[in-house]
Amino acid sequence: MQGNILSKGLISLVTALFLIPLQSTAQDLSGREIMEKLEDNRRATSNSALSRMQLSTCKFGVREGKITCAERPRVKSLESVGKGYGVDLKDSRSVAILLDPPAERGIGMLSFIYDDGARDNETWLYLSALGRVKRIASGSSDDETEPGSLFGSEFTTEDQDTGKLDEYEINLLEETEISGREVWKIETIPNEERARQSRYSRTVLYIDKERFVELRIEMYDQYGKEIKRMLGTRVELMNGIWVARSTTIMNLVTNRLSNMAFLEMHTGIDVPDEFLTQRTLTDAAFRETELEKLRAQID
Amino acid sequence: MIELEKLVGIATIALVVALNPANAQDDVLLLDDDVQFDGDFAFDDDLFGAAFDEDSSANTSSWLDDFTIKISQQFSGQINNHGVDIAPGFSLPREAELETNRLGANIRYQNAFAPGWVLQFSGQIRSYWKDDYEYEAEGDKIDIEYRINEFFLQHSFDQHSLKFGRQTVVWGETVGNSVLDVINTTEFRDFNIIDIEDARLNQWMLVWDYFGEDSNFSSFVNLYPEFNPAAVRGSPFFFEPEFNLTDYDRDSSMLFEAGTQWRKSFEGSDISFMAAYLYENQLRYEDPVSRLGDAVAETNDFFLLGFSANRAIGKLLLNFDLAYSHDVLADSFNFPGTASLANPVNLKKDQIGTSMGFEYAISNEQSVSLGIQAQMLLDEDEGLLPGQSLINDGVFGSWLMRYSNTLMNNDLVISSTLQGDLAANSLLALLGADYTINDNWAVSGQIINISSNDESPLLFFAEDVRLSATLTYSF
Repeated sequence: MQGNILSKGLISLVTALFLIPLQSTAQDLSGREIMEKLEDNRRATSNSALSRMQLSTCKFGVREGKITCAERPRVKSLESVGKGYGVDLKDSRSVAILLDPPAERGIGMLSFIYDDGARDNETWLYLSALGRVKRIASGSSDDETEPGSLFGSEFTTEDQDTGKLDEYEINLLEETEISGREVWKIETIPNEERARQSRYSRTVLYIDKERFVELRIEMYDQYGKEIKRMLGTRVELMNGIWVARSTTIMNLVTNRLSNMAFLEMHTGIDVPDEFLTQRTLTDAAFRETELEKLRAQID
Repeated sequence: MIELEKLVGIATIALVVALNPANAQDDVLLLDDDVQFDGDFAFDDDLFGAAFDEDSSANTSSWLDDFTIKISQQFSGQINNHGVDIAPGFSLPREAELETNRLGANIRYQNAFAPGWVLQFSGQIRSYWKDDYEYEAEGDKIDIEYRINEFFLQHSFDQHSLKFGRQTVVWGETVGNSVLDVINTTEFRDFNIIDIEDARLNQWMLVWDYFGEDSNFSSFVNLYPEFNPAAVRGSPFFFEPEFNLTDYDRDSSMLFEAGTQWRKSFEGSDISFMAAYLYENQLRYEDPVSRLGDAVAETNDFFLLGFSANRAIGKLLLNFDLAYSHDVLADSFNFPGTASLANPVNLKKDQIGTSMGFEYAISNEQSVSLGIQAQMLLDEDEGLLPGQSLINDGVFGSWLMRYSNTLMNNDLVISSTLQGDLAANSLLALLGADYTINDNWAVSGQIINISSNDESPLLFFAEDVRLSATLTYSF
């Protein structure tokens, strides 16, 4: 089950949640054009990337008028390597290794994600207790399953899957200000077919006009009630890309929140094809050696 | 009954202690479900800022980082007072009692100490407290046991990887009951271990992996084959034999096992072919000469040819294993953790076996799997004397069904396992719950019920109900 979840969300996680290369000069873009730029830039950041992330989840409450954790957060950290393949690099392969917590250390996942909806994504999992690599039945990225939680967090595959723009009505609602930044407020409404696969009937995005970073996203259910809210903070320039290094999503139904912190994210890494194979899952000596080589490219 | 109350009490205390929300921030106002915000609201931007602060010191690695340690306290017991009718007019009393009360530590160490090199070790230490069957078997003394699981050195270069030391080799696709998963020995010491993943024992082997561009080879040599250990005195599987069951006397004989597997992945499928020369993991015990002394442990070597494949179709994964074994013993009374106590027919035969099944992801939270293992001896009547018959005649095997449901953002996993034999003589049903309290603490509980008729060796455990609780701390 974990594999199913991971396989769907891994690439998006690795690549580009809220990572938007900027320098847009067009200020008179339509809502569709803004979203297309987001899509293009996310794909660009998914290629040849090495990332280290921390995922924290907790029940939230209010203290001194502010939203905060009501319990000690559950924390997972992972390292991931991804690379684009196929026509226009729309397919991708990635490896993710959990570093913490200790009970899950060493769990590895290899995923092949195909852009073509007719091709099922492929995922292999390595658990030391299992003693071997195991293929996970993950289904296609656009099947009609409920979007799954990512590593048990409030992030779901759907929250990261912002492509397939043809399946949405996109409206530029207004230009406004949020947290002292000028933003576009854009509304996306799924078409009938897409709506059947989505738990959101409407999404409202607030995109930083200068840096092309989503500072806030509100997700609404079919009754028009806001059920989730996502906040992008700590916007910083990483490797020439503006990145919301800290992204928090609040589930307003369960009162749980998750934060994804991009501790490191490096693009333009020369990732050998051999690294994105099952060998990386089983051969720890090979994996650690190759990871050192990848890290050396950063240094 | 006192034992039962003790078990339930201990389990309750463990759960209460484990679930105590010690980490809760008591000055935080908890919100009602379905909270709604009007417009903006205050959010502490630095709530998770520590992650970035920690990052700055992440390069300060310690040799301790290579260790993973898990400490656990486990209680389990049989809770159903009943009797088992094993012969006309004779009933075996089965009283409720605590069976395990043990504190254990599992230590794992992995260190990539140089480019291309890894040293890996894992081991366990167990301390058996009062009322544990191992405590009682030691004459009511606290017993401590150590065991090395993995201990190997790995060197990888170019397309090769060499691994030498104690390790496991797992073949086959069907999870839990593959006919090809016969390389390593197993120890089912008690009913707290019913999954083969937990029962597999490591052996001293040299493993060579070759990673080609399109396919992989994995070969092994085992110069010290080991065998399934006999049941530990005092454990639920232990029965006082007529003669002592000893380990195999190797004398000057040179035993070895060797095998190779070729594996290739296609889009949506993986296939493997394998061949091996092996010893049957279960020793066969024969009466001593003149019926004096210890039972005589006999080994049996055989050849194995195998094929395995899987196919992923959406949320469905199909698994298939096929095994052809040449020169296996026709009769080998093989019950987990016990030795062969019957008087088997001393014949070698060829055997064909298959295991197949599926895994289906019902949703992102729920999955179900089924595996069926079936085996059959070829020319089974050949060589039998008039009136003789085999213990396993015709098609024999087992089935295994698992269901799991992940709740509370993966914090709670409810699982169920049903396991039985193809002849429908026995059924083992397990219901388990694993709750992760935080990054360090976890608690689990399970209840197991066994049903059996007098055709199955599980008859001795018929109507047993076992309850267990385990509290674990990992760091």
